[in-house]
Amino acid sequence: MEDYQTCPKCKTTKYRNPAMVLMVNACGHALCESCVELLFAKGSGACPECKCPLRRNNFRVQLFEDPAVDKEVDIRKRILKEFNKRQEDFPTLREYNDYLEEVETIIFNLVFDIDPAGTNKMIDNYKKENKDITQKNRNRQSQEEMELEELLEAEKAQQSEKANLYVNAELEEKKQKHKAREKLIDELMFSDADAKSIVASHVQATAALAKEQPKAAAQPSSGVVKSSKFSSGVQIGLRGQHTNSFLPIPKQEDLPLYRYTAPVFDYDGPPPPAIEKLGKLNYFANIRAANITERAGGYTEAMSCCRALQEALGGLFYSPQLTHKTAVLATNSSTQDTDDMETT
Amino acid sequence: MLELKRALDAKGHCLLEMPSGTGKTTTLLSLIVAYMKAHPLDLTKLVYCSRTVPEIEKVMEELRKLMNYYEKEMGMEQNILGLALSSRKNLCIHPSVSKEREGKVVDGRCYSLTASFVRARHAADDAVPICEFYEGFDAHGKEFPLPPGVYNLDDLKEYGQTKRWCPYFLARHTITHANIVVYSYHYLLDPKIAEVVSKEISKSSVVVFDEAHNIDNVCIDSMSVKITKRLLDKCSNSITILETTISNMKENDSKRLEKEYKRLVEGLRDATIARETDMALVNPVLPSEILEEAVPGTIRTAEHFVAFLKRVVEYIKTRLRVQHVVQESPAGFLRDIHTKVCIDRKPLRFTAERLASLIRTLEISDLTDFSPLVTVSHFATLVSTYTKGFTIIIEPFEDRAPTVSNPILYFSCLDSSIAIKPVFNRFQTVVITSGTLSPLDMYPKILDFHPVIMTSFTMTLARPCILPMIVSKGNDQVAMSSRYETREDTAVIRNYGNLLVEVAAAVPDGIVCFFTSYLYLETIVSSWYDQGIIDQLQRHKLLFIETQDAAETSLALINYIKACDNGRGAVLLSVARGKVSEGIDFDHHLGRAVLMFGIPYVYTQSRILRARLEYLRDQFQIRENDFLTFDAMRHAAQCLGRCMRGKTDYGIMVLADKRFSRADKRSKLPKWIQEHLKDTNCNLSTEECVQICKRWLRQMAQPFSREDQLGISLLTLEQLQSEEMQKKIQQRAQGV
Repeated sequence: MEDYQTCPKCKTTKYRNPAMVLMVNACGHALCESCVELLFAKGSGACPECKCPLRRNNFRVQLFEDPAVDKEVDIRKRILKEFNKRQEDFPTLREYNDYLEEVETIIFNLVFDIDPAGTNKMIDNYKKENKDITQKNRNRQSQEEMELEELLEAEKAQQSEKANLYVNAELEEKKQKHKAREKLIDELMFSDADAKSIVASHVQATAALAKEQPKAAAQPSSGVVKSSKFSSGVQIGLRGQHTNSFLPIPKQEDLPLYRYTAPVFDYDGPPPPAIEKLGKLNYFANIRAANITERAGGYTEAMSCCRALQEALGGLFYSPQLTHKTAVLATNSSTQDTDDMETT
Repeated sequence: MLELKRALDAKGHCLLEMPSGTGKTTTLLSLIVAYMKAHPLDLTKLVYCSRTVPEIEKVMEELRKLMNYYEKEMGMEQNILGLALSSRKNLCIHPSVSKEREGKVVDGRCYSLTASFVRARHAADDAVPICEFYEGFDAHGKEFPLPPGVYNLDDLKEYGQTKRWCPYFLARHTITHANIVVYSYHYLLDPKIAEVVSKEISKSSVVVFDEAHNIDNVCIDSMSVKITKRLLDKCSNSITILETTISNMKENDSKRLEKEYKRLVEGLRDATIARETDMALVNPVLPSEILEEAVPGTIRTAEHFVAFLKRVVEYIKTRLRVQHVVQESPAGFLRDIHTKVCIDRKPLRFTAERLASLIRTLEISDLTDFSPLVTVSHFATLVSTYTKGFTIIIEPFEDRAPTVSNPILYFSCLDSSIAIKPVFNRFQTVVITSGTLSPLDMYPKILDFHPVIMTSFTMTLARPCILPMIVSKGNDQVAMSSRYETREDTAVIRNYGNLLVEVAAAVPDGIVCFFTSYLYLETIVSSWYDQGIIDQLQRHKLLFIETQDAAETSLALINYIKACDNGRGAVLLSVARGKVSEGIDFDHHLGRAVLMFGIPYVYTQSRILRARLEYLRDQFQIRENDFLTFDAMRHAAQCLGRCMRGKTDYGIMVLADKRFSRADKRSKLPKWIQEHLKDTNCNLSTEECVQICKRWLRQMAQPFSREDQLGISLLTLEQLQSEEMQKKIQQRAQGV
């Protein structure tokens, strides 16, 4: 079979020796691993095909079917290290394209050994002229790379988040179904109502639940989309949009504006006096006044006093046996007492 | 009609489910034609998309009837031009080219005879062959429009013969001013072809997708690419051809290459070449996203581009050398190709366009050899253009034969809305219709559009002419199901066999059975042999089996029809999703009963399907199970619908699986089947089923005359105009 890779030196094929690995060096001619070891025992030698001097350390495993492509990629990587200007470095697209073509020509010349002296001269010239830019560009990623990087990251984050979400949702659903069924059975066992009506109401309830579920499923996932937008890559994404129109513009959802609403505390006790009124009510008489250093830090005695009052009054109406309403009635008189006691 | 009119008035899209055989095509055609006549400015064109050539012919037949009626009633020639369009293969009249069997070869040969440079060469040298029909068309046909009338494919060919014009190009040319165009989905959905053929259709057109229950799969197929090892080897060959042609041309005629180069430098886009015949290679990217930039410098010269292609191909080859399955996103692929062979995203995006330009410049007339390379270039362009909605899956071997190395790279589109989006955006009304579209709400979701009208119609029938039944257990009370756990169970297989034998004994003429897969069909038939069920069956009827081979299947079909026609009766065992379930009608005696053994779920282990399900879940909040059930039920409904092709027809539909009786499956059947599926027929055993069949058949076998239908499912003119009926119609028009 001609399909199999063959070592040009010892004629071993991949078919006969599956463990055979072909290696290539800078000249683009392949050799199998054992031949490399034999011929380059000293560490350096000549390529058996083109007789150009090679080093053993430079042999690498052949990645592509065609060793010429390996060679080209090798040269390309070397050249692109130097020739790494970006589109941002050029005033017009046209000039950038011309530059790209020039680079391509250099690589092409090197690969096919056309005019090696002239090409090398060109490379040297370029190196001298553009030292700064090269150095600078080496350290920053190209915009395109960044975009890809960002996309990949977003994908990953989204994936893990979604996986979690759906696992949870499924579990939840199972639990709910189980619960509903148990409830139905309980009802059928203990209730006196007509069995048919119980079943009917149960069916209705499950249908209503099923209707709600897709909505519930939609909500958290939209949250996920949002969160991926707010990830660290926001700035990069915005910059990317200026030049590249192909990236889908993220949809801005019309969320209502945030509006502050004062939190409502459930003290479960008599309402503590407001912090502004503490002075008037003469609470500070019993407390150490804040000294100058504490005031400088923004502390006032009102704060600790207010807090102490809140702690003292909170939960006074709580009683485990009685319902809330009766508790309020029962303790109403006593609270007044406590109020009086504290004010005096 | 009412719903359709509303959609037309609203200039929105609509989704209609109408049972087969109730005059879907006629309704659509007659209303839209009438609308066109009444509002010639609002609605200029009807584009009717169907699936296969026979279906296209059927539509043309209906249209002709309609036109004849118009002529008879109005008493004058109608100024409406309707025409069908198909591929070169079906329309070519060139004496030698039309003999070719394969579509691709015909296209290639046509291109080699009609490309502009070939014709230019012919002008210089008479020995270069050209197509005389195309020449004829080019010389005269463009000035003389086709006279109004209805032309199907044969009419076009005949017209072409008499005038000696090429019918294919004549039809393509005529599309722009014809009133009614009938062609295949692909001319509109596949961006590669749509760009060429359907570009000039105006916005104020109505597009109808008939038999559209599989439309999402068509969309996906048109954007997906599959690359095998052999294809890549062929690519390498064609790259070598390109190399030699380039070097030859450099020696002989370097001017042309220079010209192309200059054009690319200037960023001018094929302004010189807009000849219709040259458009054999096109960019797979959607028309709206055509790149407006100049070709990047890296691939500007021909040699560089060929080296670039070589690297791409070699890179894909290395990717195919994997030992385990790889799935990655386009972004990951782009990063990898950048690090491995230093290819940026931008030149990759221009691959398809650059290749087309190069092939044109090199004047390569034989395009058939380059199709692998074209595929790869499409892949490169797509992968670098779309980062969302696509996935790359590399499988080193097929699941069924894990030892045989057969690496395949699938670049699969996961989002069916990508391909169809331009259609929805461009045309004012898109009508999606089929006999089986249930559940209707799934289609707007997966195709991502907002229909103004979404309705499922039922049939008005004079008698209950379908009998759907769900058989869930055999006579021994063992549940019947094609679930994975029980499908190998002999009890289940025997019960299926018994059901078929008993039904075959009770039902006259033809019976069609559908299995879930070819594999399942084969295992069941082989164990029926062992259990002696086949022998019992053959006492009643002849047995035919659909196979994966198309020729064998069509032979089996012919004999099946013969056996039904002469009264011997026959059973056809076939597969849901197969050829039989999709395009072939079993009307009247050809299909008195349809049996569906099991629920036809797709092969869920396929990685492409998994990826798509995941995508649907993440993007459209469609749960995996919902989609799988939806897909299975639409195929089941499609199979069941095969036996009902009209109002006078009647047939039994047996759903033999326990799971069909669950609410989530049952509710997904089309309304016109659900309507007849009573609760009492839902959980039957074999024996009960046969009893019901017998009683029903006796009822159906009574003579059924036209008079019985009158007033219920058929109206005379007097009845239609009667006060009562008019009131009813008015009520419906206002009430809905």
